[in-house]
Amino acid sequence: MRKLLVLLASVWILGAGLASTAALAEGGYGKQKVVYHINGDDAAQQKAALGNIQNHINAVGAENLDLRVVMHGNGVSMVMLPEAVGRVKNMKAGNAGPQQQAKIDNLKAQGVKFEICNNTLKGRNIDPLNDLYMVEETDIVPSGVAELAHLESQGFMYIKP
Amino acid sequence: MTTDDDLHLNAYVDGELSADQQAEMLDAMRRDPQLARRACELANLKKQVRLAYADLPAGRTSRRDCARSPLQSLAAGVLLLVLGGLAGWGLSPAAAPGTAASPERLVVLDPEGRGQTPATAASGEMRIVFHLNNPDQTAATDLLDEVERLLIAYEAEGRPLRVEIVSHGEGLSLLRERLSVNKTKVKELAHRFPNLTFVACLNTMERLRVEQGIEVKLVPEAEVTRSGVSHVVKRQREGWSYIRV
Repeated sequence: MRKLLVLLASVWILGAGLASTAALAEGGYGKQKVVYHINGDDAAQQKAALGNIQNHINAVGAENLDLRVVMHGNGVSMVMLPEAVGRVKNMKAGNAGPQQQAKIDNLKAQGVKFEICNNTLKGRNIDPLNDLYMVEETDIVPSGVAELAHLESQGFMYIKP
Repeated sequence: MTTDDDLHLNAYVDGELSADQQAEMLDAMRRDPQLARRACELANLKKQVRLAYADLPAGRTSRRDCARSPLQSLAAGVLLLVLGGLAGWGLSPAAAPGTAASPERLVVLDPEGRGQTPATAASGEMRIVFHLNNPDQTAATDLLDEVERLLIAYEAEGRPLRVEIVSHGEGLSLLRERLSVNKTKVKELAHRFPNLTFVACLNTMERLRVEQGIEVKLVPEAEVTRSGVSHVVKRQREGWSYIRV
């Protein structure tokens, strides 16, 4: 009798354990579409934002996330090389030093898309090839603001870190 | 600020602290404006997240939730956070009925019933609400440039677009006759684009009068709403794209 009870108890515990594991795997946060808006050039804030994004991926899972980072105005400093600051008009900061570069690479490898506003590039004479870190033509959007509005209308959640 | 403090702050914002701990936190915030500001930011963030994920019943927004100037951020944080349990604590008479600076200007919004039409997906109209509470006026200048480009682009392509710029807290300076460095631009854009609306927060104006004795005079192009934050929330519920400046 006692053995039977122990057996029943273990089956119950095992079952409950399996059920909760399954619920986590299935439920969790589900799929998410999210856009992070960056328009400031504060280095610490950008570092924190990149940390937020990594935490976001950790919580939701890269496979469940369509995550974009839209940069415009001073926010382009997130991918601007420190040495470009002197030659670029109207940009006070270039925060893409080696550490930030590594963070960006890491996030890109997890599927994060970094989008840069072409109005800002033109308006401030920024040369994406020489002044920015690893920006390709496909990363450039005509207008950061229009891109944000567009993504939100497509169901992306807006986050301004 | 240590991680422990962060935990404490989070617990406070979530209303998880005991009455004693809460009082202790309030005291700490009274001494440390930076802490108060962080609490306020945290509360705002949590509110945004809740709004984003939860299906809130309509009209459950606070009408006293405009952002404060740094000087009042402590009072603001406290007001935001302890509405409820400690209702009445530190309430200024700013929102008392009958003290509206210019009540006749209220509800000037949407004179032609704009905003009553179905959301973006149905009408194909792009709608964007910009939330301006940045004290830095160059941010407002940049915003106006961006909005102008956007309005021109949509006009050129014949695509329908509606834009509202909601200014409250320190962002109100965009629409203040005596303070705005962008007055001419505001006038020019407002007259050129009927699909652009400038909205000022009445709570902010009342607070400036009660707390600092400032009688705010707005530029003639500004519309007025009771609470800028509530307005922004309303627009998001209606399906507008939201961008914070």
